[in-house]
Amino acid sequence: MKNQILMKKILMYAFIIVTCIMFFFPFYFLIVSVTNPSIDVTRGQLLPGTHFMENLRTVFETTDIVNAIGNSSLVAIGQTFIAIFISSLAGYGFEVHPSKGKEIVYTLILGSMMIPFAALMVPLFRLFGMISSVAPSIGIDTLAGVMLPYFSTAFLIFFFRQNAKMFSKELLEAGRIDGLSELGLFLRVFMPTMKTTYAAAGIVTFMNSWNNYLWPLVILQNPKNYTVPLVISALGSGYTPDYGAIMLAILITTIPTALIFFLLQKYFVAGMIGSIK
Amino acid sequence: MFNKKTALTLSASALLVLTACGGGNDTEEGEGLEGATGEPDQLTVWTWDPNFNVRALEIAEETYKEDNPEFELNIVENSQDDVIQRLNTSLSSGVETGLPNIVFIEDYRAQSFLNSYPGSFVPLEEYYNVEDFADYKTKAGTYEDEVYNVPFDSGVTGLYVRTDILEEAGYTLEDVTDITWDEYVEIGKDVTEKTGIKWMTNDHNDLGIIRVMMQSSGVWLTEEDGQTPYITENESLRLGFETYKELFDSGAMNVHNDWDQFLQAFNNGEVATVPTGNWITPSITAEDSQSGDWAIAPIPRQTIEGSVNASNLGGSSIYVLNIDNNELAGEFLGSTFGSDVDFYQELATQINAIGAYEPAAEGEAYQVESEFFGGQMVNSNFAEWTQEIPEVEFGENTYAIEDILAVALQDYLNGADLNDVLESAQQQAESSL
Amino acid sequence: MTKQPTVKKKKLGKLEKKRKIMSWAFVIIPTFFIVVFYFYPMIQSLWLSLHSGAGIGLEFVGIENYKRLFNDQAFLTAVKNTFIFFIFQIPVMIFLALIFSVVLNNKALRFKGLFRTLVFLPSITSLVAYSLIFKYLFANNGIVNQVLMFLNLTNDPILWLGDPFWAKVLIVIAITWRWTGYNMIFYLSALQNVDPSIYEAARIDGASSFQQFFKITIPMLRPVILFTSITSTIGTLQLFDEPMNLTGGGPGNATTTISQYIYNLSFQYTPNFGYAAAVSYSIVFFVIVLTIIQFRLGREKK
Repeated sequence: MKNQILMKKILMYAFIIVTCIMFFFPFYFLIVSVTNPSIDVTRGQLLPGTHFMENLRTVFETTDIVNAIGNSSLVAIGQTFIAIFISSLAGYGFEVHPSKGKEIVYTLILGSMMIPFAALMVPLFRLFGMISSVAPSIGIDTLAGVMLPYFSTAFLIFFFRQNAKMFSKELLEAGRIDGLSELGLFLRVFMPTMKTTYAAAGIVTFMNSWNNYLWPLVILQNPKNYTVPLVISALGSGYTPDYGAIMLAILITTIPTALIFFLLQKYFVAGMIGSIK
Repeated sequence: MFNKKTALTLSASALLVLTACGGGNDTEEGEGLEGATGEPDQLTVWTWDPNFNVRALEIAEETYKEDNPEFELNIVENSQDDVIQRLNTSLSSGVETGLPNIVFIEDYRAQSFLNSYPGSFVPLEEYYNVEDFADYKTKAGTYEDEVYNVPFDSGVTGLYVRTDILEEAGYTLEDVTDITWDEYVEIGKDVTEKTGIKWMTNDHNDLGIIRVMMQSSGVWLTEEDGQTPYITENESLRLGFETYKELFDSGAMNVHNDWDQFLQAFNNGEVATVPTGNWITPSITAEDSQSGDWAIAPIPRQTIEGSVNASNLGGSSIYVLNIDNNELAGEFLGSTFGSDVDFYQELATQINAIGAYEPAAEGEAYQVESEFFGGQMVNSNFAEWTQEIPEVEFGENTYAIEDILAVALQDYLNGADLNDVLESAQQQAESSL
Repeated sequence: MTKQPTVKKKKLGKLEKKRKIMSWAFVIIPTFFIVVFYFYPMIQSLWLSLHSGAGIGLEFVGIENYKRLFNDQAFLTAVKNTFIFFIFQIPVMIFLALIFSVVLNNKALRFKGLFRTLVFLPSITSLVAYSLIFKYLFANNGIVNQVLMFLNLTNDPILWLGDPFWAKVLIVIAITWRWTGYNMIFYLSALQNVDPSIYEAARIDGASSFQQFFKITIPMLRPVILFTSITSTIGTLQLFDEPMNLTGGGPGNATTTISQYIYNLSFQYTPNFGYAAAVSYSIVFFVIVLTIIQFRLGREKK
């Protein structure tokens, strides 16, 4: 019996480690590449080199990456907080108080997920042209303009509603009996209980915002407002891209998301609901 | 009460974030893109490639500043695909905010932009002497009898060869100079057989080499009208396919799948020749250890009447958008890219850029011998070939037809009959354009 | 859903009404944003799909664009490719993500955070880096082929990027690699909401890990599995990044997807935004059909 458990454990760790190596390998290549000159990167050099300082210099001399990280952080953080709050409100509203009317609205909202963003880009840009003429501070070429379309997304509303389905209704009843208003219930019961859901939504929203490319590309024109992916893309715009430098820029800019994930995944601990009760 | 208060605080904080972001932006506006509509001496340019286009613009800015000290050029750099995407989005939505004054457009795409957005670009003949440029360049930017471009890099092609590998197989540079594609294939098979080194490398999805062949023969994927697909009757294209298949079947061709592998192939010495545009020079010379081993011969010609040993691949021109300040943009381009011999000397010296400006070829900077290319006068040769490039009408559909042809080529390489694949490509092109 | 006892019915009814109104307020702010930033452009796009022409030279053509779809070889190939990716990729990825989440949720497991981060890394690794390395790994003389030949699984190197079949396989591998960790997050977070005492009881009843996985985990996670399968369906039908960066849609058009075709129609060729919009709405159509099917399958049996 004991041997069997040990075997099981070994098998599990072996499975995890092999998987992790497979998933980590390209990232390993990224790390190694930042120390190699471009030509070795294209050759697929898998050992560290000595070109790190040169790459560092290239990145900091040819791009304004610090500024871009600032812009991206502002956008990603702002967008994440607002989006998960607004969208979870809706997810709660749709699931806890369903009605015919809401179902119709909900179905329509889901529909907005289904069209490729490329098809919305031109009309959306025209819309921001109009916004620009009344409120230039949230229109074209502003960071607010980058965020606005993502404050409320069908994706997050859908996610929160699906998770709310697993939310225990007794907790709400208890709150109601305690005389909490609907907003009180949401803020004091729903939000704390659904911590892991918020953590997952936060990770995903932050990551999507941080990596968003198409919309910022179109709406941001002044390089001072560029977000990280735009700077990286510009780095690779030549006929002879400097891959060592590109890899370094990528590594620097990947770290924040990895860190956010590492920090937030701690909320993925079983028995969260139990601790509230 | 609690409800309202919380709701109020929340919406207030949301607003705050919004205005904070917007506010942060306001303070930067002075030096920002507003120049495109506001500042009288400032111009914005969209382009790609830091080592080439951007450098050229910086040199032009310096030159122009000598007489116009107030002048300022704001260069915005993105990949070519991104420039295209932004330009299309802005122009098609009719929003002028943030449009640049000047933009680089690849010659193959020029007609598509001029035709899709009539009135968005400004004719430029009045700012420079069109006659001074190679015809194939100005033709790319001519729409309804007006010239909208100032030509920039010539895109002239050459056959980059490893003379050391040639020698090993018993050939000299002379043997690959002014040859036909048939001869090129024959020598290639022999070299590959003797040395084990592939003769050239290509990506089956990139038909650039076939475009090179077609232009050297003075034809294109569409007929003179720029509209009607010209595939089944196109002798040059047909020959091009055959040449390609022969190179592939004989094993002389290395197949790469993307740009990095392309660079890698010649930097690693895996191929003996690279037939392509002159913009590849910096990538070739990036491998110092091969200095002196390379030379550049004229591109092979087809065995078709009128085909010459000169062609073009890629290459872009400069366009001015029809927004405020377009006169300044025109003057700036006209007095630098359009007419300044000294400026072109600088370009040749500093970044090895070969313009399509014919008077520039006389200058000293073109007469320099290149050590990397075994003492050849690279710039002068390219300038000379530039003047021989046949002009063709690129039309609006180069890339649309090329995607159809890429499928045809794939089928052909897999053993399908050439007539059949071209026939079906012709039909597909006709039905989709 | 109102299961509360019927005492004080009248008072509760009034409160209930107030709550109903409040719940509408919850829904209205997000809905407003979606109407402005999605519905409005979508309707414009739908209107655009009834037009055709180059750039701004659009003419009203009615449903011509939609008719054209049926005869457009490039479009039909893109649809076929997209569906191949959809059918082979989604089940594999969802199943893998479920397994990872269960394994990495194990209380006794050490370095959980590290392992979870490693599995998640691919989805945040920039496309540029990952397409470079994938192309290198799967090159004709790359590591993958060397390993396969060493193990005698194949005699000749597989042309991962040059063969129409293997290029599709490569795309499926790439998407799975990139998005499994991403989907794992949703399951991991949902697993926390499953009451551990259920597993406890099952263990006492002698249920094996396998049985627990199929009998408890999967049914409990049903709403989230539905969520991930629908969002993955949408993601796959709008697939763009991988073919664009790994295969360029090739060889020929063997891996071109619908989204890539939209991109080509809008930006690579002479722009025809009207026709591109019609192609976009074809995606909407496919997604709606598939979503309805999935909702039906995912609905709890009552």
